[in-house]
Amino acid sequence: MMEYGYYPGCSLTGSAKRLDQGVRRLCKKLGHSLAEIPDWNCCGALEYGDRNELVSISGENLKKAQGICREIIVPCPACYKNLKDADPERSFNIMSPLELLNPENLSQIEQKRDLKGQVFFPYYGCLLMRPEGNSIKNRNIMEDTISAFGGDVNGENMKDRCCGGNQLFLNKWATERLSTLILGKTKGTVVVFCPFCHMAMKTFATGRKVVYLTDLLLYVMGESNSL
Amino acid sequence: MIKEKDHEIVFKYTCYRREDFSVCVGCKICASVCSVNDLALNVNPQELLLKLFVGEKIEDDHPLVRYCTSCYRCTAACPWQIRIPEVVRAVKESLGMESRFEKAFKKSLDIWGRVYEPFVVAMTALDLLRGGYIKYMPKWMGYAGFHLPHKVKRLKPTNASKGSNPSEEGRS
Repeated sequence: MMEYGYYPGCSLTGSAKRLDQGVRRLCKKLGHSLAEIPDWNCCGALEYGDRNELVSISGENLKKAQGICREIIVPCPACYKNLKDADPERSFNIMSPLELLNPENLSQIEQKRDLKGQVFFPYYGCLLMRPEGNSIKNRNIMEDTISAFGGDVNGENMKDRCCGGNQLFLNKWATERLSTLILGKTKGTVVVFCPFCHMAMKTFATGRKVVYLTDLLLYVMGESNSL
Repeated sequence: MIKEKDHEIVFKYTCYRREDFSVCVGCKICASVCSVNDLALNVNPQELLLKLFVGEKIEDDHPLVRYCTSCYRCTAACPWQIRIPEVVRAVKESLGMESRFEKAFKKSLDIWGRVYEPFVVAMTALDLLRGGYIKYMPKWMGYAGFHLPHKVKRLKPTNASKGSNPSEEGRS
């Protein structure tokens, strides 16, 4: 059982509220408590050309976390990258919720359902995997999680390709082409952890479910009735 | 167009120095993995670095600047791990090519310190209507939900860092 700082980021208060609720519920089930960084501000996402400006905006959140927590859970991959970039000295341990999962605690989860006979495409997208030094440590954690509960996985060579999510409101044809390229070479329920990827996949997937990994885990734990 | 003399602003924004791009060996591995090339646009990120290094002008509406998805596949493949998406973003800002959506995003941050999505939607409503996004609304119902904006009390002024010239020091 651990106490972590928590940085939800802007999209998790709005369009990705589902991910926010999922992370909070999952942490509670794993016995962790989350303390939201007081008065947190936007990380700057991918919208700033001036690196110093971006680091300054993101870094303000770390100043607000000082003296409160050293380990901070950051679900949104863009926020995760920016907060890590703002902390080159690694004074804080910026973590994706995916880094809370490991074979040991997965085996301890009180399982109410399994995923046998179901096919999944674990899709990480870009910012959980790149740039190097900022990426999550276990690059197979979603596969490990799905397999641990009996689900079948596919799409290894597409799992870190780009869905074009950040072009959705700029050049949607580009997002459509990149997302459908990925969808066309994979099958089954798309499992994501990024709000951008969720929206891009959801927008362009036909006849396929798109869920957050938190949805999947809460389903397995019997916390929700359907995927 | 970014003229040769204006390249310094790109270096300042990226915190790269001109000489940092001298290590680029022209292997074009960045082009071979670039997501923009999945759109059949035939871009070569290395060419942009070369223009900055030798001081050539960069034309408006460069397809890489318009379509870069910030996927960092180029950075992961680059022998020197050059963060090309950040160079592209700096060029985009220098060219003043930001869309209404990106401007609304920054405006929201200026007002509240956070991105308030209903505000961004309102500011870009015409673009969403004209751009044919309405047909996606049934799929996007799960993203809807109203909440009032939260005003952040302490946000460092966004121009506070602009006084320094990090390009003199380069990246750590």
